Amino acid sequence: MITALLWLLAIAAVGTVIYVVGRLLWDIFQLIAERRRGAEDAELPPLWRDVKVIGIGAQIAALVLIGLIGSYLWGNFTDRADQIGLDLSFDFLDQPGGITIADNPLSANDTVAEAITAGFFNTIRIILLGIPAAVILGTLVGVARLSNNWVLRKLATGFVEFIRNTPPLVVIIFVWRVVFLEGFPRAQEAWKPLGEWFIFNNSRFAFPSLEGQDNFGAFQVVVLVGLAAAAGVGYWRTQVFNNTGTPHRRVLWGLGTLVSICLLGYIALGGPVAMSKPMLDEAGRVYTGGVRMQMPYAALTFALILYTSSHIAEIVRGSILAVHKGQVEAANALALSGFQRYRFVVLPQAMRVAFPPLINQFLNFSKNSSLAIAIGFAETTSIINNLFGQSQPAPQLLLILMLLYLALSLVLSLIGNVINSRLQIVGR
Amino acid sequence: MHNSKLLKLLAVLLAFVMIAAACGDDDDEGSTDAETETPDEGGSDGEGDDDTVELTQSGGTLAKVQDAGTLQCGGNDTLPGFGIVDADGAFSGFDIDFCAVVAAAVLGDSTAVEVTPLVAAQRFPTLQSGEIDILIRNTTWTASRDGAEQANFLHTTFYDGQGFMVAADSGIASLDDVADASICVLTGTTTLLNLNAVLGDLGIPFTAVEFESNDELNPAFQAGQCEVWTSDASQLASFAANMDIETSILPEIISKEPLGPVVADGDTEWAQVVNWAVMATVQAWEWGIDSTNVDDFLTSEDSNILRFLGEPIEDDDGNSVVAEVGLGLDPKFAYNIISQVGNYQEIFEKNLGPIGLALEGSPNDLWTNGGLQYVPPFR
Repeated sequence: MITALLWLLAIAAVGTVIYVVGRLLWDIFQLIAERRRGAEDAELPPLWRDVKVIGIGAQIAALVLIGLIGSYLWGNFTDRADQIGLDLSFDFLDQPGGITIADNPLSANDTVAEAITAGFFNTIRIILLGIPAAVILGTLVGVARLSNNWVLRKLATGFVEFIRNTPPLVVIIFVWRVVFLEGFPRAQEAWKPLGEWFIFNNSRFAFPSLEGQDNFGAFQVVVLVGLAAAAGVGYWRTQVFNNTGTPHRRVLWGLGTLVSICLLGYIALGGPVAMSKPMLDEAGRVYTGGVRMQMPYAALTFALILYTSSHIAEIVRGSILAVHKGQVEAANALALSGFQRYRFVVLPQAMRVAFPPLINQFLNFSKNSSLAIAIGFAETTSIINNLFGQSQPAPQLLLILMLLYLALSLVLSLIGNVINSRLQIVGR
Repeated sequence: MHNSKLLKLLAVLLAFVMIAAACGDDDDEGSTDAETETPDEGGSDGEGDDDTVELTQSGGTLAKVQDAGTLQCGGNDTLPGFGIVDADGAFSGFDIDFCAVVAAAVLGDSTAVEVTPLVAAQRFPTLQSGEIDILIRNTTWTASRDGAEQANFLHTTFYDGQGFMVAADSGIASLDDVADASICVLTGTTTLLNLNAVLGDLGIPFTAVEFESNDELNPAFQAGQCEVWTSDASQLASFAANMDIETSILPEIISKEPLGPVVADGDTEWAQVVNWAVMATVQAWEWGIDSTNVDDFLTSEDSNILRFLGEPIEDDDGNSVVAEVGLGLDPKFAYNIISQVGNYQEIFEKNLGPIGLALEGSPNDLWTNGGLQYVPPFR
């Protein structure tokens, strides 16, 4: 995967250079043609006063300047690399990485590329859980900051000001050390609430999970059918709403359909899934059943959710304030309840304002996940850093690290931009 | 529309990289030409044209350090005994003292050292970049580091081995009891490689919990996030000395960890200077010269000692001459080292004595006492 990504980016790089240079050459070509035509009519300003000439000249100057700076830096690097005989090839990606990750099948004999890939998936796991949670928490806090309830308002303000004005690394280390490391018991004395269905200790958290029994394959088909039926019902309710104006309640209808079909299937197939209860042995080491979560993962994700949600809360608050007062008054005039007012009138409009800066926060979130290195969660940066110490070449690894985060950010902003364009009012 | 925006963003970023690369190639060729010229000049001064003046520095770390007047040293700042920073920002420790030894030899002033604290994973990239002149940061000498990291390992200052520490009440008495336990380890170290290799070969399953700094690893171990802490035995001893909980060290030592100063490849002159400066402390110890009595030895009867200390000796014709070993150092470099910093024994006992490490009977003892510290003659 890493090699494919490198090739893709290399091709993109060459393509863009051709694009930029080609674009410039085309402009120059057009300019020359235009001035030739103009010269016949003798109505063009002199060269040094022609806006287009100045524009293209500035572009060339900028490119040359960037090229000079770049060549100086690159020359500096290659001089030093030659001096000490640094190997700049990417062959090391196929060497054994010597890296293991807790609760991950990665073995020490797997290649460097596989180790980096495993780390990258861990980064994605942080993002998948963290960003939606941060948006939800941030929205709640942002709305709370505008609440008429004095205590709620001040609490929300305190949360935002305290977290937002603290560096993320401090928040992470604080949450890890105080909340998770010292706050939970050690594995041998693990806390097992709710009839021992959950296990919490300062090394791992374990939760019950679903485990397939006989007829599990058939049940999966039933679930798929249920999902399709739910989508169909949702579509039907939307049609009803569009045609008659009756409240569609498509989420409720859809969920109801899904749950009833799954329940029927469950009974008909004689219990194809069962709850798997997590167990921990006496010594506090071996887990069986359930699903496990690394404590550093939980600590990091929780800390980043807190940190990012404090920023999101401010964006949400600002966006709500940006919704015209007349909208709230109109909602009140329609006798909507407080919740309905927010859900159907204020928030949809506020989200339009809020979304572009939110994308920024998503990018910050993904980049801040690299701070996991401090508390020992093996995500991309941590793995790459580990490889530095195992005699793998730093310049290439740093390049890969930057490209991975670049790719991640581009994908996130692409997703964000697509959502954003769908949120905007369709203009003419 | 959004795609084109993205494309533009990509264009700007990658155009920068590519142009840099394209232009760099020309530059690269230029410098290779210049460098092939350099050896022809043979280090002769004044003959080279303007272009080569700048480029002859490829082997000139010694001249660079002497021009700058300070030694840039990469060290540790979180390991009591070896390299630790105090409340005033001053560094101290066994490794830091060896930076001072090199500074005393090269600059005649043991305080002319600037220490850059480095985490394990940063140390080789920083050394490769030329940002530091020398790396003395409890760094293990291995073949792949000598090879792939362009590092040049010099005289081993400390013979260590990887050990395991557990809480005294953990019920773990030997490596066999470690099965399925969580083991805390620093990232970017040989420790992790040894752990994977040795426990892997023994078929003992374990979970590695990796930290970048001992500042986080230490509380994680004390709070029980991991039951076992593996590191160089000397480090474990140094942390155990300041811990709230009772600990014990397992009997197994699973590796050889020779720690010593490191310089970048490609500058033999500098490597030799550092090597002999470090070895002078051992030679002084062997002769019983330390910082308190070094001045008494200036009038020694032993010509070897006089030569070592840079004192004039009488040749056959009765002229007194100062022996010149040709390292490019002040003939009195050894005297400077011993008088300003001390001999190996003094450095060891000052820094590692307080954390409970004994010199006598350890592999770090002098070869005449059955240890491994043996240096070639200073002639």
